[in-house]
Amino acid sequence: MFPIALLAVALPLEALLASSFFAPALLATLADKAPGFLFGLPLVALASLVFAATHHEDPAEIRIAAIHWTVWLGGILGMVLAGVLLLGWFS
Amino acid sequence: MSPDDGSVIDLHNPWLAALLAWCVPGLGHFYQGRRHKGGLFMGVILGMFLAGVWLGGGKVVYASWKPAEPRWAFVCQAGVGLAAMPALVQSMQLAGAAKQPLLASTFMAPPLFPGQYVSRAYAERLVASDPDIDQELFFDKPPLRQFRADQLSMWQRRLGRWFEFGTLYTMLAGMLNILAIYDAFAGPLGAAARDESDPRRS
Repeated sequence: MFPIALLAVALPLEALLASSFFAPALLATLADKAPGFLFGLPLVALASLVFAATHHEDPAEIRIAAIHWTVWLGGILGMVLAGVLLLGWFS
Repeated sequence: MSPDDGSVIDLHNPWLAALLAWCVPGLGHFYQGRRHKGGLFMGVILGMFLAGVWLGGGKVVYASWKPAEPRWAFVCQAGVGLAAMPALVQSMQLAGAAKQPLLASTFMAPPLFPGQYVSRAYAERLVASDPDIDQELFFDKPPLRQFRADQLSMWQRRLGRWFEFGTLYTMLAGMLNILAIYDAFAGPLGAAARDESDPRRS
């Protein structure tokens, strides 16, 4: 029963992924030209939000902690990225 | 106990909450009545997982334990719960006697490796659905067919960096849900740390 229920969800999803809706040409072209680190930024923000939520219960405190962790994580990763770019520039 | 205002958090049955939190991110928190955090975990973790599946063209979540290319990423992806479990079902079905995923669907099915036997139905399905695969890539070995290319290389060539981004998003979603499961089981992490540092504790 469970696998059948699973497929009832999976098959439409598979059709959606295979359809042209999945990757409109313009969006795909824009995304291909975007620097890779831009796709890491949402991960930093969302990981900070979840991490903050596991340390607090009050929504206001979660928001403050999420901003705090986003700044710290983004700052550290930004410094690493800047270091890598500098190394590439000098070499 | 809440680390913010010191109020007591009723965790109900922590084991059941942890199990529910694994099955569907945030569900354990809904069970405990912590609706705000439940909604947050569900939205963020499931959203991140689905974004990863979308970025990776639906190919990044699969289970494969073949020595040639074990899919260690699935260990992290499995943390997201039932959303990743079709990959396990498909992997077992493909390795089983039927030699095809459930209903010959390509959804979350592992890639085929050179020399791998599959059912005729699944071979036909792959030829029909994957532009990189044609009849020439199969040897006819009645009642089965033998694949003679490397489907994983095809996926990586076609998707390029999106395969890596999709893998990263889905892996991180699974790992973040482990934190959420712990939160459902034991409450906020900050509470324990603050409690230990409190001089009034003893």
